[in-house]
Amino acid sequence: MTSRRGFLAGLLASGLAPQASWADLGCPAYLSAAMQTDGTHILAGLSAEGDLHFRCPLPDRGHAASAHPSRPEVVAFARRPGLFADVIDCRTGNRISRLEPSDGHHFYGHGCFAPDGSRLYTTENDYENTRGVVGVWDTTNGYQRIGSFASGGIGPHELLLRRAASGLVVANGGIQTHPNSGRKKLNLDTMRPNLSYLSFDGAVEAQEQLPNDLHQNSIRHMAMHQNGTVGFAMQWQGEPGADVPIVGLHRLGAAPRLLAEDDPRVRNLNGYGGSICFSADGTSIAVTSPRGGVVQVMDVLTGALQHEHRLDDVCGLATSASGFIASSGSGRIVSLHQSGIEPLSQLDLRWDNHLIRLT
Amino acid sequence: MRSIAFALSLTLAPLHAQADMIDDILNQQILPGMDELAFTSDLLAEAAKSDCHPDSGSLRGAYSDAFDAWISVSHLRFGPTETNNRAFALAFWPDSRSKIPKVLAKIIQDDAPELDQPSQFATYSIAARGFHAMEFLLYDGGISLAGSPDTRCRLIRAIATDINNTSHAINFEWQDSYAAQLRTPGDRYQTEAEVKQELYKALNTGLQVTADMRLGRPLGTFDHPRPKRAEARRSGRSLHHVTLSLQALQPLALALSGDDAELVEEFENGFSKALNTAAQLDDPVFAGVADPSSRFRVESLQQQINDLRTIADTKLGPSLGVDPGFNSLDGD
Repeated sequence: MTSRRGFLAGLLASGLAPQASWADLGCPAYLSAAMQTDGTHILAGLSAEGDLHFRCPLPDRGHAASAHPSRPEVVAFARRPGLFADVIDCRTGNRISRLEPSDGHHFYGHGCFAPDGSRLYTTENDYENTRGVVGVWDTTNGYQRIGSFASGGIGPHELLLRRAASGLVVANGGIQTHPNSGRKKLNLDTMRPNLSYLSFDGAVEAQEQLPNDLHQNSIRHMAMHQNGTVGFAMQWQGEPGADVPIVGLHRLGAAPRLLAEDDPRVRNLNGYGGSICFSADGTSIAVTSPRGGVVQVMDVLTGALQHEHRLDDVCGLATSASGFIASSGSGRIVSLHQSGIEPLSQLDLRWDNHLIRLT
Repeated sequence: MRSIAFALSLTLAPLHAQADMIDDILNQQILPGMDELAFTSDLLAEAAKSDCHPDSGSLRGAYSDAFDAWISVSHLRFGPTETNNRAFALAFWPDSRSKIPKVLAKIIQDDAPELDQPSQFATYSIAARGFHAMEFLLYDGGISLAGSPDTRCRLIRAIATDINNTSHAINFEWQDSYAAQLRTPGDRYQTEAEVKQELYKALNTGLQVTADMRLGRPLGTFDHPRPKRAEARRSGRSLHHVTLSLQALQPLALALSGDDAELVEEFENGFSKALNTAAQLDDPVFAGVADPSSRFRVESLQQQINDLRTIADTKLGPSLGVDPGFNSLDGD
């Protein structure tokens, strides 16, 4: 007899059940990498209420994760300079396989699947050639690496599927690093981050840079609006105390818009956007800053800063049914509303940079 | 791999600390400091009313006293200072895009009639408000002579009145309700440990601003020193602010150290070393950062303050159950 779970899994795999939620499969609502009290690292699955669903051990510190569009599996990426990406069965938390970068490459911590799930794309550093690349993996054949192409800049960090057209958008952070010198930044004077819009074959279809006075504002993380607008969060590498925007919006064909530029509270972010996310209705965009211990919510239409929520070491951020959900390095999961912060859970874990929504 | 006992330390925050530590900090530091800010701001508004000439000795004296009072509490960046952007309205610094002179020049040129309406003035760009805007009007060679003396006079009075209103709003909220929230956790702060952690963060913020901004911005790099970025250099107050900040942070660090005699001694030595260096620097606006022979003295003052941060990070923080941060130290 076919179980409900197996039935749904079949439907999902065949793409016939777009309404079915991953939660119906016994999958968690959110994923996050974390460090445990003994210093070991995991990828955790979380319920919508912030309760622990599974812990999958990782060999080293994780960063982001990405869910396959139909199969109940997720990929957990190592933090840069990352040397593994683990494919995990999201129902059980068991590892299915491990991806390792080619010689001379390391992962940057993010990746995404093609819309049909047949390919996985990973941001990588081709460090001997000082070149950012996107690695391509065939998910229909045990995650074989089948190629790579240039990311359009140095230091590609997050990449997302485009919404208005087919292809990828990559945040090239602009910072050159080499494993021989750890995480040391080698080109701060000349760095030039960009957003690159690529086809799935790697053709650069468009690129967007910020004005020269912001060339040290590293574009790292992105969120995708339903209408194809890309929200991006930056990390300032210039002198402390400079008055710089941290959040921007870009729609292909238009100039980027920098948000809340005249609001002095942007300084409370300490020049550092950690994660970024649109609200479910698309009217606002939130950014976390662990360095400032603050989450700021901005209006997509006017660019005005609407709300500020204080939470020490906050970084992970995702859309929730009622607003936003955020995680902190001290083990907290909270729900953010217009009226304030509501605690959901507190665990003996250090939640790492990103909270990924599955459902 | 590092083993982290953070969860434990969060729950076992200092059992030995005196219960009156928070009361002492409120009664001896925060509340008198806020009172002083409101009192000196009153005098500034009065002085501007009676003589608004930029060279006026009484105006400049009152300005200096009120600015001193602000710098001495400016590390307390939580609660009442954050409501309605009050801290930014008192001190918009650093101003890396030179918004202050631009917006002031425009106001003077427009000769805006709303200048005389405090409620209207409070809606102006935050760069037009506070002590740094007033410094331009009193001390800057360009702005202090721009436009008509009458417009500038009205602007000086508007800023002084606005500073006074903001200072009173901060003081009122502290005395009226916020101090009680610190004394009796349960609402904004759940536990006494959380209150102490907030005060610890204020200490850290103060040390960080002084080392990284007040000294770090003019220091720039060896190849590109930036003496013109010194805080309040037009009024010659740059080094003075470092001293005021250290004088305000020292009693906070000592109080938070509680009965840990070794930590108290370490902070006492560290602060007196930095205060001595500041007293002997003889470089009021850090002009010397551009000269290798005097630059190292500013650098060593910065180092001494960074040493204080290390004591706070490694010894005081853990004793108060402060989580050292995971994502905040990551940078990814």
